[in-house]
Amino acid sequence: MGVPARRGIDAREVTAPLCRLEDLAEGKSRGFDPLGEGRDTMFVIRRGGRLYAWRNHCPHYDRARMAWKKDEFLDPTGSRIMCFAHGALFEIDSGECTLGPCLGQHLTAVPVEIRDGQVWVTGVYEPGLRR
Amino acid sequence: MRIIGPDELIFGVDNISDGRAFLVDYGLDETDSRGDEGGTFEAADGTAITLRRRDDASLPPPLPTATLLRRTIWGVEDEATIEAIADELSKDRDVVRTSDGMLACKDDTGFEIAFRVTRRRKLDLPAEMINSPGAKPGRGPNIVGANEDAPAKPRTLSHIVYFVPDMDVMANFYIQRLQFVVTDKFTNTGPFLRPQANLDHHVLFMIQTPPYMQGIEHLAFHMQGPTELMLAGSRMVKKGYESFWGPGRHKFGSNWFWYFNSPLGTHVEYDADMDLHDGDWIHRETPMGPEQAQMFLFENVEKWMPGGPPGKKD
Ligand code: FES
Repeated sequence: MGVPARRGIDAREVTAPLCRLEDLAEGKSRGFDPLGEGRDTMFVIRRGGRLYAWRNHCPHYDRARMAWKKDEFLDPTGSRIMCFAHGALFEIDSGECTLGPCLGQHLTAVPVEIRDGQVWVTGVYEPGLRR
Repeated sequence: MRIIGPDELIFGVDNISDGRAFLVDYGLDETDSRGDEGGTFEAADGTAITLRRRDDASLPPPLPTATLLRRTIWGVEDEATIEAIADELSKDRDVVRTSDGMLACKDDTGFEIAFRVTRRRKLDLPAEMINSPGAKPGRGPNIVGANEDAPAKPRTLSHIVYFVPDMDVMANFYIQRLQFVVTDKFTNTGPFLRPQANLDHHVLFMIQTPPYMQGIEHLAFHMQGPTELMLAGSRMVKKGYESFWGPGRHKFGSNWFWYFNSPLGTHVEYDADMDLHDGDWIHRETPMGPEQAQMFLFENVEKWMPGGPPGKKD
C-alpha cells in the first residue's frame, strides 16, 4: 500500500539477453543484473555443457547476497556453490544447501533458455535488492 | 581478569591466495607470509587474522559445521591474568600451554580459544577531524575533508560474533568464568559482552542458532571514524567485493558499520565510533529486529547524480 518500488523497478520480463553462451566459461560462475538494479541479483554456472541459474539470495537471510567478489559464487574446489556470508555450501544442480546455516533449504532457480546462441531469462523477473 | 579483547583469529581455508587478496584489499598488512601455506594479516596495532591451509596439522580440529574459524586468541594484560585464567579453567577442562606461549582450551560450546599476553601495540593516532558550528574547528583552514586518496587502514580488531547452539551456556562461560560484562541484550538472541580491561561496548556478541549453524558470524576492525569507514568500504565495492549490509549505524554500541562477504566464509566488517562503558552502565534490553539493529542504513548502489552522468562521448 503506497510503498513505491525501489527506484521505480518493477517485476517484468527481461528484454535483453544476459550474454552469449560462449561468454560463459566451463566450470565458472558469473553474476547478472537483468533489471539494472546496480547489483547482481542472479548468477549462472556452466558445467558439463549445462547451465544452472540461481537467484543471488541465500536462503539463510532475507535477500542475502552470496559471492565474495564479482562473479565468485563457487567454493575453491569449484564443485559447489558457496555463500561467502557464512560459508553455506549448495549443490550446483539442485541448489540444495548441504552444509551450513541453511542446511536442507534451497536456492531459487531462474528459468533460462538459449536462443540463437544467447542466454535469456524466461518469464517475469522480480527485482532483487532489499527494499 | 584483565582480558582486553580478541588479539588474533585463525582460519583454515582451501584457497590462501583468495583470502590474502581479500585481507590485503581490506587494509591489513601481511607480516608473516608463508606463501601457499598461509599468512598473518595485521591491523595498525598488531591484532591480526591468520590464514592456514584447512589441513594444516598445527590447527585444532574444525567444528563439524561450515565455519572456517579454527581458533580465537584473546589478548590479556599480563602473565598474572594468564595464571588466573589457567587456575580458573583447569578446574573443569584440559588447558594446554602451547609452544608459542599460549594457554589453549575450549569454551563451553566447543569453540577453540586461547589466551596470551596481548601483542597490541599502543596506538597514538588522530581521531577523525570534523568542523561543527559552535565548536572549535577540527580541521583548520584549507585542510580538505573529502580526500579520496586518504589512507583507510583498520586500527585494531574490534569484536567477533558467534552463532551458538546455546547462548546461555556460552554467555555464562564468558561472564562467570572470565568476568565479561553484559552491556546490552537482544532478548532471545544473546548479550553484548565486554571484558574487564576494555571499555568498548562489545568485543563479543552471540546469536542463538541450531547446532548445525555453529561458527563465526562476523568479525570487525575499528576504523578511524565514519569517513574512513565510508572510504574503505567504497574502495572495496569498487574492487568488486560484495557488500552484505551497510553502511549504517547500529543502535546498541552506536558504531557505524559496513559488512562484506569474504573468502573466509564470514562477514568482515568495518566499524567506527563505538560507545564506551564502565561499571556504572546498566544494560538495556530489546527484542531483535531491523528497527533495533540499526539507527539508519544506506545501500551502496552505483553512483548517481541529479540529471545523470554526462553523455558518453565517442
Ligand atoms: S547468508 Fe548465506 S550462509 Fe548466511
